[in-house]
Amino acid sequence: MSQTTERQFLLDSRGTSRELGAFVVGAAFDRTGAVAAFALGDGTVRLTPPHPTMDWPVVEAHDGTVLAIAADARPGFVTGGDDGRFLRIGPDGTVTELARFGSKWVEHVAAFADARSGVLACSVGKSAHLFTVAGQPLKTLTHPSTVTGLALDSKGKRVAASHYNGCSLWFVAAKTDSPRFMEWKGSHTGVVLHPAADAVVTSMQENSLHGWRLADGQHMRMSGYPSKTESMSFTRSGKWLATSGAESIVLWPFFGGGPMGKAPTELAGGDNVTCTRVACHPQHEAVAAGFSDGLVALADIGTGRILPAVPPGHGAVSALAWSADGSRLALGTETGFAALIDFTPR
Amino acid sequence: MSDSLVPVTVLTGYLGAGKTTLLNRILSENHGRKYAVIINEFGELGVDNDLVVDADEEVFEMNNGCVCCTVRGDLIRILSGLMKRKGGLDGIIIETTGLANPAPVAQTFFVDDGVRARTRLDAIVTVVDAKHLLARLEDSHEAEEQVAFADVIVLNKTDLVTPEELDVVEARIRTINRFARIHRTSRAAVAIDQVLDQGAFDLARVLEREPGFLDSDEHSHSDSIISMSFEVSRPIDPEKFNAWMSTLLAEKGQDMLRTKGILAYANDDRRFAFQAVHMIADGGFIGPWAPDGERKSKLVFIGRNLNRPQLRRGFEACQAGVYQAVAASA
Ligand SMILES: [Zn+2]
Ligand SMILES: [Zn+2]
Repeated sequence: MSQTTERQFLLDSRGTSRELGAFVVGAAFDRTGAVAAFALGDGTVRLTPPHPTMDWPVVEAHDGTVLAIAADARPGFVTGGDDGRFLRIGPDGTVTELARFGSKWVEHVAAFADARSGVLACSVGKSAHLFTVAGQPLKTLTHPSTVTGLALDSKGKRVAASHYNGCSLWFVAAKTDSPRFMEWKGSHTGVVLHPAADAVVTSMQENSLHGWRLADGQHMRMSGYPSKTESMSFTRSGKWLATSGAESIVLWPFFGGGPMGKAPTELAGGDNVTCTRVACHPQHEAVAAGFSDGLVALADIGTGRILPAVPPGHGAVSALAWSADGSRLALGTETGFAALIDFTPR
Repeated sequence: MSDSLVPVTVLTGYLGAGKTTLLNRILSENHGRKYAVIINEFGELGVDNDLVVDADEEVFEMNNGCVCCTVRGDLIRILSGLMKRKGGLDGIIIETTGLANPAPVAQTFFVDDGVRARTRLDAIVTVVDAKHLLARLEDSHEAEEQVAFADVIVLNKTDLVTPEELDVVEARIRTINRFARIHRTSRAAVAIDQVLDQGAFDLARVLEREPGFLDSDEHSHSDSIISMSFEVSRPIDPEKFNAWMSTLLAEKGQDMLRTKGILAYANDDRRFAFQAVHMIADGGFIGPWAPDGERKSKLVFIGRNLNRPQLRRGFEACQAGVYQAVAASA
């Protein structure tokens, strides 16, 4: 590759990267945007330091593999691991155990906070456990089979859990707990909520997505993927759902009546590589995407313009996250490469 | 097949047959190799290993609406999680509950792309109890299926029966599955290399160990499992074979537990290996035929209600250059 080509990637001009030596399971920025965290297959969480030239602090978090990470309702992060523990990790690396579930894996975590309220959530087997921001157990929501995905809505009022034969939608503050069960036969493997709560969408074992319009329960079926969709993200406006699982970024329109009967928009991509992760920009109608060859690019949905961020060659992208203000992107790969890209105007 | 794929051994067997004893034996003899063990939480005994994962045996139907097309949803998640661990694993051992049907486990390794990309099903090992097997087979379809699916059968507790009784039990096993390798033991004392790294699902080795083609017409109940094999010497026409096999699996797949074959395609010097669990099939070219050897195509069926003459005629009609007439409607 020539020098001129290399310079076209933002990683060279605006990136910081490290080889972390283990599968990057997830990445997140904390609520303040000051710290990014990378959750690894060796059980550690790596934090970004106060100054870019310093070493990345290593947090010994789980005995085994970290399975999930999210920004905490406070500064810092929450994580789940295959050691059955649900942890809170402070921005300084302090580890606090929120709960311990024995030999069961803590597979999914989520957290929400605004000025008035907040909630923490994790899933263990068939149960989703909710906690107060202080870490006190709030309630346990039980499902007919193992929870395969967990999502809190943009107001922290509802939690959606995907499982076999559909997904369940619960109100966090309900006095009596009974979910709205969105039923569709088959194995649902992940879930995402529309930012204005117009719809809930699940990924399925059979290389397709299933959606329900919340107003009337109308079903939506989105198929045609050559492989499983492991990553889904709505744009901030809720107009588009970006998805992985194809050779390009597949975007379904959620305006003008929804995606039914329409073809999706496809951006970026190439032959024989699969889009593995997507993350919509928190402010603009743009999406960051990672591919199986290691390429990371930012796509402007309106113009279709592609901004290459990281060149191929660092392993399949397995983690992608924006800071809340959209100024920085964190990414990680299956082979342990991790990077931060700075998008602040210069 | 790539060596980077982690081999997976499935351990089945009825409650009390000695499955967990065998598992602990394997783990205590593991000579520093690193195994992950996936157990169900209602296992017979404790398992002594650093990495033990509780599974829920969640059997999910696939979206085609067919009752035999099932996978283990929990296994897909667990295997995906284990593959993220640092340092890798030398192998994975899955212990199923006594009542488990092995088909969903096996089908998981054919169906899920993520699982296929990182692991390979090495062998299904079934532990049976010499004293109680015959009674179990009479009252339980699962016991029969576990024998039928096995690549390796550990015939355990041989010290509790007479040599004559043992021969009767082994003969009964052979009516169900004449292709599995049988190890007679007491206290599950079978060598680790007879159980792990068998390559039984490796297409290249599918039929290598197959015993002679003893076609006998043993008596069986109408719905009991039997096994049979066929051999043809003229080259196979791939289109004819695919058409015949897909129709056969679609119509009779629920009764067909395992199908395996090595095929000599016309105008191709490579061996084609085929296998299916119920309706879910997989196939690919493996190494070349021996330059001077005979190129015989072989096919093995294990299942219920197998119609020997019909299967034989169907396979023979797949040979290239064999004329046939079939009924047709306008
Ligand atoms: Zn079926
Ligand atoms: Zn009889």
